[in-house]
Amino acid sequence: MKRKEILNRLIGEVTNFLLEDNPLRLVVSLHQEDDGAHLSFFDDRKRTEEELESIRTSLNPKHTRPELAGYYGMMAGHDTSWKARLNLIGWQIKGASVKNNDSGLQIDFWLGSDAFNPDHFTIEKED
Amino acid sequence: MIEKHERIRYIALLCMLLGIILAGFTVDGVHKSLVDFIKIQTSSSRLIQDFTAIGVGGALVNASLVALIGLSLVFFSSVSLSGPTLAAVFTLLGFGLFGKTPLNNLPIMAGVWIAARFARKTLGSYSLIALFGTALGPLVTYLMFETALPLPLSIPVAIMAGLVTGIILPAIAGSMLQLHHGYNLYNIGFSCGFIGLFASSALRASNRMQPIFILWNTQRHVVLVVLIPAVVILLFSVGIISSHGSPKKLFTDTKKLQRLSGRLPTDYFDVVDSGAPWLNMGLLGIASVLFVLISGAPFNGPVLGGIFTVIGFGAFGKSLKNCWPVVLGVCLGTWLFGKTLADPGPILAALFATTLAPIAGQFGIITGIIAGFIHLIVVESTAAWHGGLDLYNNGFAGGLTATFLIAILQWYQTNRSKEDFKS
Repeated sequence: MKRKEILNRLIGEVTNFLLEDNPLRLVVSLHQEDDGAHLSFFDDRKRTEEELESIRTSLNPKHTRPELAGYYGMMAGHDTSWKARLNLIGWQIKGASVKNNDSGLQIDFWLGSDAFNPDHFTIEKED
Repeated sequence: MIEKHERIRYIALLCMLLGIILAGFTVDGVHKSLVDFIKIQTSSSRLIQDFTAIGVGGALVNASLVALIGLSLVFFSSVSLSGPTLAAVFTLLGFGLFGKTPLNNLPIMAGVWIAARFARKTLGSYSLIALFGTALGPLVTYLMFETALPLPLSIPVAIMAGLVTGIILPAIAGSMLQLHHGYNLYNIGFSCGFIGLFASSALRASNRMQPIFILWNTQRHVVLVVLIPAVVILLFSVGIISSHGSPKKLFTDTKKLQRLSGRLPTDYFDVVDSGAPWLNMGLLGIASVLFVLISGAPFNGPVLGGIFTVIGFGAFGKSLKNCWPVVLGVCLGTWLFGKTLADPGPILAALFATTLAPIAGQFGIITGIIAGFIHLIVVESTAAWHGGLDLYNNGFAGGLTATFLIAILQWYQTNRSKEDFKS
């Protein structure tokens, strides 16, 4: 059940982050394939461009950090009493997109094995 | 392909480690240093065994070789040499002066590699566990040379114990993180102490546990006194070089690091892109040296080990701002209980209590002082629990202290009546 535990941790940390703004609506959507998964989070709180950039930076680290992902990444989703730490997630996923949609914030991210091709999912291409 | 800034880090560390070997050879001569180095491999390594009492040259050679093995592991496991790995290499260097040897480190590292293979992960994923997990090195040495078993039997038993320790460490370390939520920087020390409880209990059950004794070098050696200042000069130089001639940015980034809580995992090289982490490490080194000088403690293996560890974590969670309250807490406890700060227990507690720096960074000065105070009380008992087998005894005590404080703070945090749903 390794996959279940990882998804649990990641969902826990992101929802911890989203709940910090006390949303009235929060939706988590999961789409799984054999070699990967796509997670989407929606709430009803729009963020400033600065806040969006900060979330993007945390979820898309410049370098891969296997030494941090495999060890400290285990803390993700466990501590919900204090501020969420999205960088714990950034090291464990393939990539993330962050934007404001019509109603609030939308975070999408993709995770999976080396064989996993995010293009098969609804990943957005940069213009 | 190693990036330029990482290449500078490797060069700096290699210069430092080779310089320390050279210093060792200069002090005692090549022959005596190597003889003492061999002697150190078979000597007792449980807490507290000051290798500089065996020979300063041999201790310096041993420490540098232990750190070089760690640096090689970082290089060959293809993980970046940044905050956490730098902290690990400096910690290995420090504990190479009082407990870690190449002989007792390698079986544990091999065990972690086996665990990584079993979990279908790369060694890189578990590299920090492999590096810090060598805290249980004394278990290998103890089983090999101190249980009165014949060597043909004790050697395989000790190697097997090291392998098993390495294999179970990733599982234990991950679980222990959840207890203190990253507020104890030496989490592997906490984990190793936990494993050490079982190992020492097994040894006691088989009547093979000998009492702990302290080997504490009080002789003054010039090379040990000037070692940290020399390393600090190197750290400042690398900091300035890495900042591309922008002292203002170096200064503002160093100030920025002081504002961070330091909670695990905060890699300072990810937070700023200048040489500020190096400067922060150097500042912590100076502060530690001044503290030791004021306390009147000797610059021996364990004290230098403490300072090297503080310096290393200057890139991974520690700063002057989050360290001083915890150290003050230890000093207050020392004064209140009528102890002497220069004695082995208090001086090491003061240096290593900075494992709790994130508590001061997150919850403020008063909580930091309380953490340091409790830490001193706890750490004086914990070494006996694991029979001195866990070199990071302060990491073990720090883990217990952090878990205790965080449980209380978390309970307080989660019972805010103002945020209840309306009834």
